[in-house]
Amino acid sequence: MSVPWVEKYRPARIQDVAGNDEAKKAFVAWLNKWLAGRSEKKAALLYGPPGTGKTSLVHAAARQYDLELLEANASDVRNSAALERRIWRALTETSLFGKRAKIILLDEVDGINPREDAGGLAMILKFIDSTRYPLVLTANDPWDPKLRVLRDKCLLIRFKPLGIRVITSVLANICKREGIICDYQVLRAIAEKSKGDLRAAINDLQAIAFGKKKITVEDLEVLGYRAKQADMFEIVRSVLAAKSPEQARAVLSMPSLDYEMLMQWLSENIPYQYAPSLRAIADAYDALALADIFLRRAKRTNEWSLLSYALNLMTVGVASARDKPKFKFVKYHFPQKLRLLSQTRKYREARKRVAMAIARKCHVSSQVVIREILPFLFVIYEADADLAKEILKSLDISFKTFETVAEFYAR
Amino acid sequence: MTETLWIEKYRPKKLDEIIDQEEVVSRLKDFVKERSLPHLLFAGPPGTGKTTAALCLARELYGEHWRDNILELNASDERGIDVIRKRIKDYARTMPVGEVPFKMIILDEADNMTSDAQQALRRTMELYSRSTRFCLIANYVSKIIEPIQSRCAVFRFQPIPREAVLERLRFIAKCENVKITEDGLNAIWEESQGDLRKAINILQAASALGEVVTEDVVYKVLGKITPSEVRDLVRLALEGDFLGAREKLRILLYSYGLSGLDILKSIYREIMSPRVFSQIPSHMQAELIELIGETNFRIVEGGDDEIQLCALLAKIALKAKTSG
Repeated sequence: MSVPWVEKYRPARIQDVAGNDEAKKAFVAWLNKWLAGRSEKKAALLYGPPGTGKTSLVHAAARQYDLELLEANASDVRNSAALERRIWRALTETSLFGKRAKIILLDEVDGINPREDAGGLAMILKFIDSTRYPLVLTANDPWDPKLRVLRDKCLLIRFKPLGIRVITSVLANICKREGIICDYQVLRAIAEKSKGDLRAAINDLQAIAFGKKKITVEDLEVLGYRAKQADMFEIVRSVLAAKSPEQARAVLSMPSLDYEMLMQWLSENIPYQYAPSLRAIADAYDALALADIFLRRAKRTNEWSLLSYALNLMTVGVASARDKPKFKFVKYHFPQKLRLLSQTRKYREARKRVAMAIARKCHVSSQVVIREILPFLFVIYEADADLAKEILKSLDISFKTFETVAEFYAR
Repeated sequence: MTETLWIEKYRPKKLDEIIDQEEVVSRLKDFVKERSLPHLLFAGPPGTGKTTAALCLARELYGEHWRDNILELNASDERGIDVIRKRIKDYARTMPVGEVPFKMIILDEADNMTSDAQQALRRTMELYSRSTRFCLIANYVSKIIEPIQSRCAVFRFQPIPREAVLERLRFIAKCENVKITEDGLNAIWEESQGDLRKAINILQAASALGEVVTEDVVYKVLGKITPSEVRDLVRLALEGDFLGAREKLRILLYSYGLSGLDILKSIYREIMSPRVFSQIPSHMQAELIELIGETNFRIVEGGDDEIQLCALLAKIALKAKTSG
């Protein structure tokens, strides 16, 4: 792929940064004060979820105010003495390029672990105290108690997730400039999926539009669906075919791993991968069943420390099955449970309606009706439909609804 | 008279008509005489007359106004304790109709409530205890929290003995002009034991099938109500065919829509039936029972039906293969 669009279309001016008007206003006011030499806070902490324009705003401001921008990732600074020296010089010396001022950006200060890395935090505090230029910090989550000292010394500026309409209009603008014809629904779908993260949305758009001049809803669905399923196939394979516990556990480090879905996928595919070894299948299922139990306990008791046992059991535990056959490439299946449940949904709903009606007449619960009364009614219906009709009439139940339920049962 | 379900048609209307359970009935009649009532807890296995006793009690207590003075709730079908509490609250606000100074709330399947929900229910019971009496119905007393038990007069319903069940079945058969043979009656008893609801349901279905209800006709009904998949599933698992067994399991779970617990119970019954159990090597028998029991525990704890049952089937398949 050529230049990433997130770089290519980074806003040049402050007013081009999408959304978050209040944050922009607060930032500009702070910067103006700084440059006029009367700022109360020497540093600004821009915080908010990824892709909401924190870094873009600093870039745009630097350009617009003609400031020399020095940018570094906070945790890199900590790990590199050279980088630290560079920042230090930049903060305390005049600009090399004869520009009138500088702006220093330290990204992801919440990436510094205040517990393990107290030195990193102290260093940033020292930067703030000594800087002669505006110092901007960014963070996704600044609320760690250990970051309190830092918060006290900074002007806090909050960035909110961007609205769907804002994201859609940015995407539409990019399409226009790239000469791509694109349905509004497609852009809106991308925007919705991004959950307020403009960077993710632009990346998605570029991926979908790659090599195309026209994108339709079909492209989006096909691509999105395939990507998702392919991911799951890969995850299942890395668990079931893991050669070491580390390999099996590696899937847990994936962001946004849907572990409940993973359990369904594993349940579906364990027998395909581990056949013909019944011991491997039994062991793997045993671990999965235990993972399931721990997950329920975590949910029921709200004791989320139990989640770790569930996650390790469903990965390392499953992969530790004895007598695993040598790895072979088998075709994995989509969980049948999900397909079967959606196929039988209408039938189950109709049955529930019938059962509830009988339950009220017979002073029992609908479950008892399903278990202990409906099966006998089906027998009667099969032997003598008129008799069944009469019984149902006495129970005020529509014969038609009952018939659909009974016919399904007969299959 | 139009046809209806015999379990409703032959449900006793008066306390005296209730078969067996003499001690329970005689004490309930005392309450009627005194026109006073403590909170009640009826406990016992299905089909032994708990709900019927509550309804009869209400009829005799309130006479013609009985419907106006009772609220029937089934804990399994109400959406949560908050809904139950609201319905109780709305109902308890109105005055009882007639001379008895309190109304009755019948809460069926109360042992299906979580203990938290039961705690909330306890407070509700206290709040309205002046104007209402509760009749809680449960299969197991032990699943009702202590503070509720201690506020209730507990009545234990026993499984109905064989002779009483057969007598009732003969009575119904006579009223319905149905011929039933002794071995037919026997077959119904074998399946239903002391569960009269089940016995009557079998009789009604069997009578729809043929002129005379014989042993064969009863077994035909039972064959139809027990999905053949249960039998197949157990057979396949014991043959070591896990994938085959899993396919049957899924039909039961998703096409029949049976609960994991019901399927497990059917599997257990099938495995314990002499026909199957005698074929299982003796050193495996105890292990199998333990495995099924453990799975039962896990499903009750909230485990995923398919995953837990598949784990069971995989273990059965493995044991069957490695021992044979």
